[in-house]
Amino acid sequence: MEEGLLRIREVSKHFGGVYAVNGVSLDVKEGGICGLVGPNGSGKSTLFNTILGIHRPDGGNIYFNGNCINCLAPHQIYALGLVNAFQLPRLFYQMSVLDNMLVAARGQQGDKLLNSLFLRRKWQEQEKGLIEEALEILELMELDKWAFSLAGELSGGQRKLLEVARALMAKPTLLLLDEPAAGINPVLGRKMFQKLEDLSRNGTTFFIVEHRLEILFEFASWIYVMDRGKTVVGGEPEDISEEPAFYRAYLGEE
Amino acid sequence: MDPLLYVLDLIVFIGIFGILALSLNLEFGFAGLANFGKVAFFLIGAYTYALLSQIGVPFYLCLIAGATLSAAFGLLISLPALRLRADYLAIAILTFGEILRLIVKSESWIAGGDWGISVSPAIAISGGSHRVDVLVNIGLVYFCLLICFVIAQLLANSPYGRVMRAVREDEVAAEALGKNRARYKAQVLMLGSAMAGIAGGLYAQYLQYVLPGMFMPMVTFTVWIMVLLGGPANNWGAVLGAVLVTLFDRGTNIAKDYLTLPIDPSNLQYILFGALIILVLLYRPQGLLKESPIKTKALESVKRERSVVKGKGS
Repeated sequence: MEEGLLRIREVSKHFGGVYAVNGVSLDVKEGGICGLVGPNGSGKSTLFNTILGIHRPDGGNIYFNGNCINCLAPHQIYALGLVNAFQLPRLFYQMSVLDNMLVAARGQQGDKLLNSLFLRRKWQEQEKGLIEEALEILELMELDKWAFSLAGELSGGQRKLLEVARALMAKPTLLLLDEPAAGINPVLGRKMFQKLEDLSRNGTTFFIVEHRLEILFEFASWIYVMDRGKTVVGGEPEDISEEPAFYRAYLGEE
Repeated sequence: MDPLLYVLDLIVFIGIFGILALSLNLEFGFAGLANFGKVAFFLIGAYTYALLSQIGVPFYLCLIAGATLSAAFGLLISLPALRLRADYLAIAILTFGEILRLIVKSESWIAGGDWGISVSPAIAISGGSHRVDVLVNIGLVYFCLLICFVIAQLLANSPYGRVMRAVREDEVAAEALGKNRARYKAQVLMLGSAMAGIAGGLYAQYLQYVLPGMFMPMVTFTVWIMVLLGGPANNWGAVLGAVLVTLFDRGTNIAKDYLTLPIDPSNLQYILFGALIILVLLYRPQGLLKESPIKTKALESVKRERSVVKGKGS
């Protein structure tokens, strides 16, 4: 139990009288892709936002790498290496695709006021490397042609890809993705998951909400099923697909 | 009046308002902070300059003190800025400016109340004419404008500028990408306020007096028109806006002496300003100059390489 990279213990979050997340406990182990599935409104996105510090949990504890992160602000959680990509892309639309990428890089020299003015040589040197990394990721997502276009000029699917690409730019330890394959053409969706699988072998762990179950079940090593604010079952994809609780969550009681 | 003096006077005004426009552009154009209380920081700079110069502090220290105090108030105002939505922040800062003006107006022990106080010239040249005085002022004002412009340009074209724009575009996303938005907003408001404080000090020292009537809310709106007209998030645009609006302001000021109108001609000026804002927002919402993209050495060289590859391909 102790080795989980992300440990969630009895976490609750309610809005008024509605418990969106109601006493969820789960573990995301280091390495690989962990999936989170469940019908719409079962609390998956709320759970994600609570992990990220956008919502404060009303109860329970969240540990990342052994540290309690309940009370940290989103930017502090990000600094620890826990990064996310939003379900609906929240890009910086009046900035170029490449600039969107560069904002997300962790440990930048030049994003502090005085450094940006007085350590120009230092951050310029760093930026060269960052641009190369950014272009590599963009190429992977087939966005490199648009590197210098405004993010607002991209199509819906491309915005989704950029949202994921931007999160990858942070070289996260744990990356939360909320429906990364939604709205992307099936071929590219599969390709993206293959790429994520490659990355997961190099030290990034993924925790993914996805409704495209066929893709998720192919790549994930562990799946949690959520229903009405609770995790009902967790296990390897093969077992889950035979689990009655999983079908009950999606299809309702018979 | 000596026509040359008139032109020189115009040049000084353009410089002072250029600094104000640059500071608002930094806050609103780049970081998206709707500072409708620019005049408050202008006032703080001017009164600090005036009060300190009266007790014999050298002019450069007066300017620095004005900028520092103004920046401190900028920091203070950034505290509610983090909690308030943009439109409520605008109202809060707007009233802050009016409150300050009413304080210096009614509390006459501070700086002479309605009558204001006089300021001695920064550099007194013995036997110099008024024209020489104005020339000295031009040098001083444009030196400060240049420094502010260079700082604004360097910031805009750095990773810091990237974060400012990101906070403007979507502060929640910026925060989720590891940017402490509270800190950035506070820094930008401090920097913008410091610039406005310097502009205020220069204004006080040029006119050689300060009085509450110089700091009506209209000053804020004039600066806003400059930024909106010139083009937000473009420092050249801010300066261009300052030039055009100051010329317009002064031009209509002259014209009103020769017009007979059924209404007070100075009101006509405000009506024209209002119409100008509406026209700009309707027909050229991006301003005369478009937002300038972030330019850094590394970005430029990648862009060049790519255009070379494309050129070969076609």
